Amino acid sequence: MSSPVQQGRFRRLRAAYRLISALVVLHPKLFAVALTGGVSFAVATVASSLAIRWVIDNVIIVRFDQPPLAGSQLLIGLSLVIGIGLLRSVAVVVRRAFAGMFQWRTAETLSRSVAERFLRQPMSWFQGRSEGDLIARAGVDVEATVGVLAPIPFATGAVVLLGLSTAWLLWTDLPIGVVALVAGPTLLWANVRYQRRAEGHFTAAQSHLGDFSGAVHESLDGVNLVKAYGAEDRETRRLGELAAMVRESRIAAIRLRATFEALLELVPALTNVSLVVVGAVRISSGDLSIGQLTAAVFMFSLLVFPLRLIGYVLSDLPRSQAGWARINEILSDPVLDDPRDQILEAPEGWGVTAVQVGHRPAPEIAPTLRDVNLDVRSGQVLAVVGATGSGKTTLIEVLAGLRSHTGEIRLAPGPMAVVLQEAFLFAGSLRSNLCLGQEFSDEQIWTALDWASATEFVSELRHGLDTVVGERGVSLSGGQRQRIALARALLRRPVLLLADDVTSALDPSTENAVLENLRVHLSSTTVVMVASRPSTILLADQVAFMRDGALVEQGLHSDLMTRHSDYREIVEAFETDRQKSGGSRAKRGRDE
Amino acid sequence: MSEPMGRFTAVNTISRGLKEAPILRQGLGVTWMFAAVGALGRVVVPILIQQAIDRGIIGVGQVDLVTILVFGAIAAVSLTVAATCQRIAILRLGSRSEKALYDLRVRLIGHIHRLSLADHNEQRRGSLTARVTSDIDTLTQFFSWGGLAWLLDGTLMLIIAAVMLSYNWVLALTAFFVAAPLVIVLRVVQKRLVVAYERARSHNADMTTSISEVVSGARTIRAYEAGDYFAGLTRAAVHRRATTQIRANIISAFLFPSGEVFSVLTIAAVVSMGVWIGPAGGLTAGAVVGFVFLAYRFLEPVAQFTEVLDQTQTAVAGLRRVMSVLDMPIGPPEAEITTDLPAGVLNIVCDGVTFAYPSRLEGRMESRLLDDAVIKDLNLTIPAGQHVALVGATGSGKTTVARLIARFADPTFGEIRIGGVPLHLVANDVLRTRVAVVSQEPFLFDDSLIANVRFARPDATEAEVWEVIGTLGLTEWAEGLSDGLWTVVGGRGDVMSAGERQLIALIRVGLINPGVLILDEATSSVDARSEVEISRALASLARGRTTVSIAHRLSTAARADRVLVLDHGVLVEDGTHAELIAAEGPYRLLYEDWMRSTRSSSPDHLDQRS
Repeated sequence: MSSPVQQGRFRRLRAAYRLISALVVLHPKLFAVALTGGVSFAVATVASSLAIRWVIDNVIIVRFDQPPLAGSQLLIGLSLVIGIGLLRSVAVVVRRAFAGMFQWRTAETLSRSVAERFLRQPMSWFQGRSEGDLIARAGVDVEATVGVLAPIPFATGAVVLLGLSTAWLLWTDLPIGVVALVAGPTLLWANVRYQRRAEGHFTAAQSHLGDFSGAVHESLDGVNLVKAYGAEDRETRRLGELAAMVRESRIAAIRLRATFEALLELVPALTNVSLVVVGAVRISSGDLSIGQLTAAVFMFSLLVFPLRLIGYVLSDLPRSQAGWARINEILSDPVLDDPRDQILEAPEGWGVTAVQVGHRPAPEIAPTLRDVNLDVRSGQVLAVVGATGSGKTTLIEVLAGLRSHTGEIRLAPGPMAVVLQEAFLFAGSLRSNLCLGQEFSDEQIWTALDWASATEFVSELRHGLDTVVGERGVSLSGGQRQRIALARALLRRPVLLLADDVTSALDPSTENAVLENLRVHLSSTTVVMVASRPSTILLADQVAFMRDGALVEQGLHSDLMTRHSDYREIVEAFETDRQKSGGSRAKRGRDE
Repeated sequence: MSEPMGRFTAVNTISRGLKEAPILRQGLGVTWMFAAVGALGRVVVPILIQQAIDRGIIGVGQVDLVTILVFGAIAAVSLTVAATCQRIAILRLGSRSEKALYDLRVRLIGHIHRLSLADHNEQRRGSLTARVTSDIDTLTQFFSWGGLAWLLDGTLMLIIAAVMLSYNWVLALTAFFVAAPLVIVLRVVQKRLVVAYERARSHNADMTTSISEVVSGARTIRAYEAGDYFAGLTRAAVHRRATTQIRANIISAFLFPSGEVFSVLTIAAVVSMGVWIGPAGGLTAGAVVGFVFLAYRFLEPVAQFTEVLDQTQTAVAGLRRVMSVLDMPIGPPEAEITTDLPAGVLNIVCDGVTFAYPSRLEGRMESRLLDDAVIKDLNLTIPAGQHVALVGATGSGKTTVARLIARFADPTFGEIRIGGVPLHLVANDVLRTRVAVVSQEPFLFDDSLIANVRFARPDATEAEVWEVIGTLGLTEWAEGLSDGLWTVVGGRGDVMSAGERQLIALIRVGLINPGVLILDEATSSVDARSEVEISRALASLARGRTTVSIAHRLSTAARADRVLVLDHGVLVEDGTHAELIAAEGPYRLLYEDWMRSTRSSSPDHLDQRS
């Protein structure tokens, strides 16, 4: 019966050992110093109770039994108590300081490794992974993993303390030792049992809290909608129900904890009472001194906290192991090939050539890009046109080396710039967002801003280029963000500019200005851009028309208009729209 | 209103907290009494030892076994009683605080949902979420450890001090005198600790930002080959976090040992004093030994207390943040006496409407208000059933006008009336069924289509939903969905295209029967074909309703009965499309730009087609 349990326990112990030894090798010196502190603390603690015993037997009792007391005795006693107390304090400082260093330096190493791994993996690795989950692995998971490290030196010291004090108690007096020996393991057992049972409640509370936070986040994200439908009360009620689940599971945990805390007070106290009763008998028979008994009681009081700590470590272990497993998943995942490395150099005079280029997000999914053949001469502008889901964005990302590809891609050598659909801004200053680690002069920056029609609003910002844009650029509007992203690309005077629907967040007149600047100032740049407005198409020398992941035809706009009715429909949607409204207006005019 | 918020002292904050969560106060006295009895348990053993030494055991062969047993039994019983009381105290405090935090959470959510949309946009949404989740959680942390310590340890120290004084006042005063400087030492350490933790926290936030950008900005980082640059930034952020954490840790490493040092000093002082006084002053060996124990127990909570103080500070800061949200004035408040709206289609009147964001007004002179206003003195009448398009460059105020009409915020000056009733006199739930807002970048909950649609009207039947879908001409589309109305939409899973998301939003509005429709046109385009489908559904929705469109595209404006052109918050043109084209004003310029950009084919292509 007990054998599988035993096995389970051993397996857990082995897993714990593996975790701790894997982390200890990261910063072994810090750990060693912390451990020394922990063990010294244990030794000093036993010594301190010995000192108390000596003072009671040789100073206090002597003084009250036989009045004359040698001053030297008192002096020895006091220096023992103070000296050992100081020693104990120093040990604590060393232990805690170094345990903290060990914990946080380990966290640093782990977070850094995970983040660096994120940076080394190509974009394709990120597909199908949730951002929040990845961020958690370098943050929350690391914290969970190292959470168990700080108390380990103390817990190790506590184990040593337990051994030493038991030995000392047994050696002092067998009956006293036996009483203490029964209580120690009882406490440890209660501790472990409590932690196990409480874990269920804590896990439940944590997951309810997760649900609740998620729902709050969603509800506030949709606050416009909530307000538009006057659903404030309804939403509050719904979220309140989730909050109530958190409350209930926490109260269940508190009920358990209340019992445990009370037991943790009661068991040592009752043990101490037993020690006094048994000790009285032993003193009466002359086998024990008052000092010895008092020291035993004193010792036992000092044991309560370390015992508790061992329980904490044990309860923290599963959390740490889960965190460690999640970190390892990232670190042990091989670095995928960078699709960029497979992109070749285009021959002189060509900006982009693509032969039979395809892309399949995963083996089990149908390809999202098939057999694309493209040729763009240097300095030409190619507009990519197609319905939603026709593979426009995929084509841009494949050319940019952000997605893997089959077939052959050749690009003109020299700086390339990519403007993505979502204009991502980092939390730093506008300048750092534009430069991204490269050096540019203010003049260059302002020129690029000018081309992107961003000069006006940037110069109106209080700190100009040094304005901090806030996480994800929250302080700027969508159109402003997109213009900054565009300026970021133009700043590099790229030989090749790949752009995914960049002008869609701009109003028509701004869009016109930006497109005009592109034509005038970057005339030698090869441009491949997704176009969703006729104006963008008009700027292009050629158009690539996409349908269902395949290139239907690359050619002149006018040719495509005649040859493909669905191309015509897409391009003319706005125009027919306008004619229709013009028509109805004319009709209404007549009616009136 | 302009009074700076969130500037309370700790005491103020706590008393505010107690007021906001009255359940915490209820029975606090009883809880304290249980805690006090529980704390009494801690002095039982020292007293027992003292009594045993002084009365039961004097030396070898002199043990009075009966007395010892009687004392032992009394001690055991009182310990059990104390432990039981302690359990009750923990349970009472814990469950009450959870209930209080639940109340606070619900109140906070309700309040946040009622904040003006202006506050939602200006404050980071994430930080509002944090108020409801993590900030309140710091209070949970506090109540489960710190609150208990305040209740238990504070009482315990008083009890121990009382026992010490009853044994021997000279020894007790000696102990207090020697231990007193500890309080000063701890205060100093603790103050530095607070600063250190604050720095660690802020560096921790920086680190999280840095790491999340490595993930969220992965595409951009790769597009610009900026991997090394960001590796450097992240490495620095991670290192700074570790260093500040370690610094805080080292400071806190001195907390407990300083308690220890003072304990041994106190013990030494008590022993010396006890020995010096001797039996002459009525002092017994047991009392001196008891003092040794009591001195330890007396200082134990002091050291613990400093850690609790830190937790308390964190909790007070959390509470303060929570309170500052509760103190934010809620969005347009509901009138106490409301007026009914007339049935049917409603007209809209704006009477001298000026609007400026409250936060941008803080500390500004009244005279400067107009400079900062987003809308300036707007006077306007929209007859019932008219379709009006708001046109203007980004930042011209067209979105704000629409929001004011939907009463997402109240004008700073002036008044808006619909159906002749001032907006602020209309009951909120009435307003929300009569004035509908459709965003074309709609928000969908991570739930089924029907659940998302029913958000407008929870009691709508499936048949009613199908009816609306039919009216909008979307039956074919809806029948083609994998799970019909139960298809899961929304969330970040891009099951639906941008166009389909818009369609769902339109069905949602179709479920209510508003008299005024406000359409916020999408800024980014969906593919051209879905665009046509959407505009058809929109047209059938707008039929016979007063409609205000925020037009980002001039084709929408051209379709409207009337065009309003805004420039920097001022209404600069008002007329039909044809009139404004003829007037050759700002609208004409905008329209010519638009015409030029949409002239995608020369007439001969059209000829070939026809």
